[in-house]
Amino acid sequence: MKVPDNRGYFGKFGGKFVPETLFSCLEQLEATYKKVKKDKKFREELAYYLKEYAGRPTSLYFANNLSKLLGIRVYLKREDLLHTGAHKINNALGQILLAKFMGKKRIIAETGAGQHGVAVATVASLFGCSCDVYMGQEDIRRQRMNVFRMKILGAQVIPVKSGSRTLKDACSEAIRDWVTNVRDTYYLIGSTVGPHPYPLIVRDFQTVIGKEARRQILKKEGKLPDYLVACVGGGSNSLGLFYPFFNDKRVKFIGVEAAGFGLEDFNAASLIKGKIGVLHGAKSYVLQDDFGQIKNAHSVAPGLDYPGVGPEHAFYKSISRAQYVAVKDKASIEGFKLLSEVEGIIPALEASHAIYYLKRLAAKAKGATVLVCLSGRGDKDLEIVQEYINKNKD
Amino acid sequence: MRIRDKFEQLKKKNKKAFIGYVPFGFPKIKYTKDIILTLAAGLDLIEVGIPFSDPLADGPLIQRATSLALDEGATVKETFKCLGQVKGKIKIPLVVMTYYNPVLRFGMEKFLQSMKESGVGGLMIVDLPLEESKEYIKAARRFDIDTVFFITPTTSLERAKKIAAISRGFIYYISITGITGPKDFSCAPPASHIRRLRKITKLPICVGFGIHTSKQVRQVGSFSDGVIVGSRIVKFIEENWRDKNFLGRLKAYIESLKA
Repeated sequence: MKVPDNRGYFGKFGGKFVPETLFSCLEQLEATYKKVKKDKKFREELAYYLKEYAGRPTSLYFANNLSKLLGIRVYLKREDLLHTGAHKINNALGQILLAKFMGKKRIIAETGAGQHGVAVATVASLFGCSCDVYMGQEDIRRQRMNVFRMKILGAQVIPVKSGSRTLKDACSEAIRDWVTNVRDTYYLIGSTVGPHPYPLIVRDFQTVIGKEARRQILKKEGKLPDYLVACVGGGSNSLGLFYPFFNDKRVKFIGVEAAGFGLEDFNAASLIKGKIGVLHGAKSYVLQDDFGQIKNAHSVAPGLDYPGVGPEHAFYKSISRAQYVAVKDKASIEGFKLLSEVEGIIPALEASHAIYYLKRLAAKAKGATVLVCLSGRGDKDLEIVQEYINKNKD
Repeated sequence: MRIRDKFEQLKKKNKKAFIGYVPFGFPKIKYTKDIILTLAAGLDLIEVGIPFSDPLADGPLIQRATSLALDEGATVKETFKCLGQVKGKIKIPLVVMTYYNPVLRFGMEKFLQSMKESGVGGLMIVDLPLEESKEYIKAARRFDIDTVFFITPTTSLERAKKIAAISRGFIYYISITGITGPKDFSCAPPASHIRRLRKITKLPICVGFGIHTSKQVRQVGSFSDGVIVGSRIVKFIEENWRDKNFLGRLKAYIESLKA
């Protein structure tokens, strides 16, 4: 099954729910993307930057200590080793080349954890574009170092003070900027969300993760893994890993959402607790009240703190291709510590959700081979974790 | 009164429609009814906004108003309750303006049914473009609710044709590429775009976004069939609702914009 269809639908999810002003721009983006996707020069240029600049391919590391501890075979896809510290750079490089192709010199982006913002600021600096990054005030507070990184890279970080002051509001504000400056501005969206063709474009640029991982695991194990595990916020690292395995029916996909304070409390588990709705241009699962007002999400991991999720995940859920589970703040901190202590790898808090989930998976799937996307490194989260530990000492 | 009849009536008098926007529940739910009744005395058509938590196409003023209204408990249900109370008390058409998610959650059929029952003539859904509107149009025709769509400076003529074909009542022309409440805009580009649109549609074309003064109302009226004032009315309400003679002043303010 080829998803999305021409109208940007993954089953009944996706679409283009945008104000009229943006429509022509989405059409132009779609047409350009179709063209460059097949363009040899474009693909070579992207491959060049992914390899020489970002540091691909990333290794697939067999986590021996963790495997012994849990009784499963754990492979980590080391996106944390990339330049700028997370998988976000894969998509940022792809889209900046697209923007260049379209002749747009001003780049805007939204960011939650700041990882996407840093990736965009990085590629904007590399390609000589001006760059404005929208970031919620609350995230600016939580991720000060990333804010500083973006500034050093020459980007302007615009604080967003509306709503929950996190990723959702940064995304809304970026879209408002885009509506206003649509003629000369490229909106470099950071996840598999938003109106078509963004969920497709971002997924495609992230599939490099899964393509590499598939080759690597076959080489190392001589077979495909039993499980793929990745955290899901908007969904880009998980879809990047899952998609190339879509037709490998025996490989089970597990998406780990953020349960925040708990599934009956503030959380960011849109697939598990959300209802079908439209947010930021796409139909998908959305955390909302009975009257369709979007709820504020919560996760200790700023990159997961979003009340929506990519439409392709909603589709995977509807056809049961993937299973979605949720891990609380507290458990994710445990995952963060666990990987640091046993493997000497400090994972990003987002990926720590996936790491923690391995403990639960190990209990029911002894001996299984599990491939986990370690989507980013945790340097950016040290302050949050320190604060969390101090607050929850007892 | 039907939207179509209103424009007929204005045309006979050689007048342009003067349209105002007010978000439901702002500054308080109990005020909306009186605000609508007051505005109805001076306007030809009222757009009532149903607040949405994430209004992508709105500037800071309407964002603020929306957020206040939501804090006050403004919901789709409350809106229709209020509009039902207004029904029969005003002689001008009402249209509802909102975003898609509140409609989707409430249920399209139920939403249109509620509109019908509370005497609302038309609907605009900001983030439901032509391509996603098939079901909506089918349902709206069944309930005989006018589907008002947007045309913007970035809409090609070919696309505008398709939009005009599914539009009923009037066409909302957005003066600039941007969100509600821009400081200013120049009249020449929309004037020339609208001249071209005349060749593809007979529907009235009304212009909104960035209209703050009586001078602009006159200017925009000279090349369109109607002028829509949104953020400026919201601003007036925000600044004056605590005033003892608020409704009287609101009435006078609307008159001053028409002068």
